[in-house]
Order: sequence, then structure tokens, then C-alpha cells
Amino acid sequence: MKSMNANKIISVIIALISIAYIWMAYQIPQFPIPRPVDSDLFPKVLGFSLLILSILLFFDKTGISDAPAETVEGDRLPWYRRPTMKVVVTSVAIAAYALLLVPVGFVLASLSLCFGLALYYGYRNHLVNFVSSFGVVIVLYLIMTRVMEVYLPKGIIPY
Amino acid sequence: MESLTNLVYGFQIALDPMNIFYVFIGVFAGTVIGMLPGLGPISALALMIPMAFTMDPASGLILMAGVYYGAIFGGSTSSILLNAPGVAGTVATSFDGYPMAKKGLAGKALALAAYASFIGGTISVLGLMLIAPLLSQVAISFGPAEYFALMVLGLTAVVSLSDKSLIKGMIAAIFGMMVSIMGIDLQTGTERYTFNHIELLDGIDFIVVALGLFALAEVFYMLLRGGSKTQKRNIVGSLKLSRQEVKEIAMPITRSSILGFFTGVLPGAGATIGSFLGYSMEKRLARDGDTFGQGNIKGVAAPEAANNAACGGSFVPLLTLGVPGSGTTAILLGALLVMGVTPGPMMLEQRPDVFWGVIASMYIGNIFLLVLNLPLIPYFARLLDVPRPLLLSMILIFCMVGVYGMSFSVFNLFLLLGFGLIGLAMRLYGFPAAPMILALILGALMEESMRRALQISGGDWWVFIQKPISMWLLIIAFLSLFMPLFKFVYRRIRGF
Repeated sequence: MKSMNANKIISVIIALISIAYIWMAYQIPQFPIPRPVDSDLFPKVLGFSLLILSILLFFDKTGISDAPAETVEGDRLPWYRRPTMKVVVTSVAIAAYALLLVPVGFVLASLSLCFGLALYYGYRNHLVNFVSSFGVVIVLYLIMTRVMEVYLPKGIIPY
Repeated sequence: MESLTNLVYGFQIALDPMNIFYVFIGVFAGTVIGMLPGLGPISALALMIPMAFTMDPASGLILMAGVYYGAIFGGSTSSILLNAPGVAGTVATSFDGYPMAKKGLAGKALALAAYASFIGGTISVLGLMLIAPLLSQVAISFGPAEYFALMVLGLTAVVSLSDKSLIKGMIAAIFGMMVSIMGIDLQTGTERYTFNHIELLDGIDFIVVALGLFALAEVFYMLLRGGSKTQKRNIVGSLKLSRQEVKEIAMPITRSSILGFFTGVLPGAGATIGSFLGYSMEKRLARDGDTFGQGNIKGVAAPEAANNAACGGSFVPLLTLGVPGSGTTAILLGALLVMGVTPGPMMLEQRPDVFWGVIASMYIGNIFLLVLNLPLIPYFARLLDVPRPLLLSMILIFCMVGVYGMSFSVFNLFLLLGFGLIGLAMRLYGFPAAPMILALILGALMEESMRRALQISGGDWWVFIQKPISMWLLIIAFLSLFMPLFKFVYRRIRGF
């Protein structure tokens, strides 16, 4: 694998995706009345085009790129503060937010996400963090529910 | 004369107090979001769609148009003060804007940018007003074959002009089309790629993809880059220009505005290419061209006039043909479709309120941009001091509200996360996101046009070649895509 650059690895992944896509295109049922173009044609064209492009990408020597490794500054940080870890934690936080939004409610879930992530990213002025997070969440909530009449879940807060 | 009558009608709509308020909000929000490094007009527009969604189409597009040119202008502030362009279209501004700021002339550079943007924007609105109705009359004769060819051209132009690899651009476009055709096929009722998920029957909302690929991916990218510290910015200082300086920049601004407008009309070009063309043209024409890059005022005025003019120009294909020429106008088209308006040649007749209201609002928006920005520049600049951790967590909340507020679907929040990670991977490995978002908007429309054309021709594929307009559009599309390849092969042959 050492000799394979990022382009080659990505091209193999894309080729596998395109094969799966083409297979699924062949599973699309035919319309009972004959038509010049059925629902499966466009997906088949897209699938085969992607397969051809993935092969071209495998041999493409221009625009070879590798994802940046952790910075020197990042290497000195504790593992939970490293840039890659920040992306992972943020993703987990978004997933948790999605699960808790309806039961907990928009205001509490959003306040926790906004305040919590800013704290995790390294912002240490807790009062400013809380006031600004609370302000943004409340203003958004009021604009959405009162001005734009868009429903947002109340959750455990009754109003 | 007819255009003037229509423009008066447009002003009646644009001067409605609520619409004036929306222009103000749009320009203000666009300037603020565009100023933040990393967040450009696409992110700004995607973040504002949920707000526009509840309005009537004319007001919604007036708001979005304000966000668009506000974001283009806002990008210049971070280019000048931080040398960190918020938007690709303002990269050229930083070449001379930042050296001016380092010399203590940041205020002058920002004032120059404001004046140039105002003039560029105004000239482009004049162009839009004159050219759009003419193009609409031509486009009225277009059938499905011509539309299919036009969309192919729009897509290939964006792919071929993306600064990254051509193959990667094409892969991104194919992915976009794959996402766009998910759900129930409206012509046959057949399910495609729904994976037996009820949430996918209507396909994937474009707002989910737009916010994921641009706003959320940008947050991830900033986290990965480790840029949590706020950059030190230059002090703004005096905003005054001398009479001599005004004289010096008058012609470069006019020339670059006209050039920028026509660049914006072309599919695939737009603000970035327009600003670079404006900059290099003035560098060549100027007697003191050798001082470009060291803080020459013409080096700020030319790209700023060109990028704002290109922004107005990009509305020509969007409003008259219904085919966006860039990722940014693709978002605008998506927003219009969400609001129930299909842009195209019939829009002038069917929705003159939207068409002329937006054009008239652009005049007002440009005045707002100038009036708002000149006195408020020093205060706006303070936004750049907002701590990065607070900023990032707030952008996340905006993304969540945007997606949930429009779809009320928790499933879409997971999709948003997925597209955010895909967008991050695309950025890291050099796949351009603009072709993907454009293909997402155009994919389903392209398929529909192709099928309608084939139904009319009884399944004869030659229909795309037999019609002259469609044939020429396809030839240009083919050349735009394969020209770099031909050049490469030609050079290799000559080299050996």
C-alpha cells in the first residue's frame, strides 16, 4: 500500500461504489408500457461514467494529493485536543444533537451544543461563551417560531 | 422604453418597505458572513435559504440577491485586513489590498473596494436589464433538446474551469447527479436508490447537501487546520480618497466592470475569474504596472469592480435560461425552486414581479452596500476579532436550524453530518464542490429534458445533433471539457 498514493486509493473506492451503483441500476424495475427511455437508463450512464472516471483517476498523475498530517503544533497537544480528534468529537456531538433534539428540545440541545463545543475548542471565557451561545439560540428560536412560524421542538421546556 | 416601464414596475415592488428591509438584511448578513474567512457566498446563501423559504418568491430572491453581492463585498474586508480572503472572488483584491493595509492604508483600500463594488454592481445591473429580456426572447424557442444541451454546457464549463483536476471535477459532477436522481422517478413512479427508506422517497433536499458540503465541511476543515486562534488584523485608519486617486481609478473601474459583467454571463466563469482578468488587464494597461502587488490602488479597484459586476452578470443565464452558470447561482436556483418559481424564458411573462423586482432591488442593494459599508467599515472589521471557537460552534447551530427548520427531519441532520464529512474529504483530496452542487440542481432537470426530447423524437438519439442550437451547444461543451486534454496531447506530441 505504501506505493499507492491517495488518488489510487480513492479511485479504487470510487470504482467499487460505481460497480455497486451499476448493479443497483440493473435492479430498477421496467415500466410496464414501453418507453424510449426508462428509469434505469440515466443511472446506468452515470454508473458507467463513474467507473471509467475512476480508472482514469487511478492513472492520473496530476493533482495528486494527500490529506495533511497532523501539524507539528497538533502533535504537541494532548490526544483529545488534536485537530483530527476535534472533527471526530464534533461529528459525535452533531449525532447526539440529532438524537436529543426532539426529546430535550431545541433551546436546551442547541445551547448545550454551542456552549459545549466552544468550550471544547478551547474558549475559556465561560461567561461570554454562555451569554453569546444563549443569545444566539434564543434569537434563532424566536425568529423561527414567532416570525417565520416554523415549528421547533420544545422538549422538556414547556414554552 | 419597454425596459424602463418594466423597471418602474420593478421599483414599485422593490420599494415596498418590507422588501427594502429584506435588501438591507440580505446585504448586511451577506457582508458579515462573507467577511468571515472560509465562508463565501455559497455558504452565506445556503445559511439564508431557511429564512427565504417562508417569504413570497420576489421577496425571497431580493433577500438572497442581497446576500450574494453583500458576501462578495464582505470577502474583500478580510482580504485587505487579514490577507485571508473570505471568498475566492476576492483573492485578487488581497494582492494589493493587504500591502496597502500593511502600509497603514487599510481604510483607503476598504473605501476603494466599496466604491469599486458599487460602480461594478451598478453597471452590471444596467447590463442585466438590457441583455436579459433579449436573451429571454431567444430562449423562448428552446425545446427539451436545447435545454439538455445547455445544461450539459453549464456543467462542463464549471468542471473545466475548476482550478483542480478535470477528472476529479467530473467525478464530483457525476456524484451530484447521482444524488439528484434519488427518490421516486416522477415520470414512471419507480423508486431509485431509496434503500427502502421512507425519508428518501422524495430524494435528498438540496439544502442538506449545500449546507453539508460548504458550511459544515468548512467548519471541519478549519478544525483540522487547527486555526482556532484569531488572526491579528491591521488597523483600519482613514477612509478618504484624494481627487487625484479618484481620477486614477475611474477608468480601471469602468473597464473592469464591463469585463466582469461579461465574464459573469459566461457559464463556469464568474467572480473569481472576472476579478483575476480585471486585475491582470489593469496591470498590463497601467503605466505603473510594475508597482502592482506592492499596494497599487488600481490593483484593489479593478478586481473589486470586476467581481461585483460578475455577480450581476451571473444572474443573466439564471433568470433568462433557468440554467445556473456557477455553484453560487445553482444555490439561488435551488432556493427559487423551493419557493415554487422556475426561472427561465417564461419567467419574464409569468413572474415579472420576481424578475423586475430583483433587478430594481439590486440598484437599492448597491446603494445600501455603499451607505452601509463606508461608515460601518471600522465596526464590521471588529467582527474579525470574534474568537474562532465561538464562531465555529455558532455556524454549526445555524446549519442545524437551517436543515431541521426546513424539513423537520432528524434523519436529515444525520445526512447533513454525512455530507459535511464528504465535503471535508473532497476538500482534503482536491475534489471541487461547486460541480457537485451544480450537478445536484441540474441532474434531475437534465434527465427530464433528455427523456422529453427522446419521447418527442420517438427514441431517436440524433435529435440532439439535428437541432442546430443543441448541436453547437454540445460541441462547445465537448470542446470546453476536452480542450485541456487536447492541449496536453498536442504538447506531448510536439515535445517528442
